Amino acid sequence: MDDKDTEIAGRTEIENRIKKVGIVSCSGEDLPEGSISRLATLDILLKRKPFDTTTICLPLFIAGGEGDRLFAKNFPTITIDGCEKLCAKKATEKFSGKVSHSINVRDFIKEGEKPFNKRNLNEKEKEIAGRVADEIEKNVDGILLEEQD
Amino acid sequence: MANDKKVLIIPCSGIGKPVGTVSRETAYEIIDNLSKGKAETVCLALLMSQDKETVDKVNYNYVITLDGCAKHCAKKNTEECGKVPDKSYMILKFAAANPDMKPRGIIDIGEGGKALVNTISSNIIMDINSLVEDVTQN
Repeated sequence: MDDKDTEIAGRTEIENRIKKVGIVSCSGEDLPEGSISRLATLDILLKRKPFDTTTICLPLFIAGGEGDRLFAKNFPTITIDGCEKLCAKKATEKFSGKVSHSINVRDFIKEGEKPFNKRNLNEKEKEIAGRVADEIEKNVDGILLEEQD
Repeated sequence: MANDKKVLIIPCSGIGKPVGTVSRETAYEIIDNLSKGKAETVCLALLMSQDKETVDKVNYNYVITLDGCAKHCAKKNTEECGKVPDKSYMILKFAAANPDMKPRGIIDIGEGGKALVNTISSNIIMDINSLVEDVTQN
């Protein structure tokens, strides 16, 4: 899928009324796992589950308005973190609401793998992102299935 | 007087729009290539989580924020921690002034996006040099 001109935020009200799963990624600018977290999240949002998922920029909980802070109340939310500080999970729960699932990229790094690129991820780092995306997808499917019941 | 302060480039973590990627890529371009040793970054989410080490680092050093959109998340979250950024930029303004440099998408910003990154980072480099030089001369 070509992501040209795709915007995730700024959907119409009608689009947002359809049940979606919220995915909130850590921004992790200062560590490679942050970039892996972001790539995995975008893989879900733009390619694997574009009609079932939505997102919000994490720091928007503070900078945005009341509507932005209701994100986790409006959507069952999965957070993706790059390290043990769990910023995405903690900030989402502090400012918005309880999350349905929390994923830490480091749980998907195999022994001997050591990501080091913050930009232009190599094949091994993209592989890790793929494994994280698999886990997100599994959880999105689980939530959607529960919603149907 | 030796200046041991660094310039922290804090990009917005915008994940939903190409300008968010441009913001982040601009920060990396400066830190990795143009101003190696003078500039660093911190995770914006860690700052908004009030991580003490990160808050102290932000308050001690110079800060330049790069926001993708008018929500100004990087600037506002920095201010929330008690630090007024030494300089704040908005990527959308550069994009509007350079319509021929259009980012292609969120994951891959393409040649237009890369040109925009180069234009913005060359502007910021001047600020970094003047911030660091100001203190060195005092």
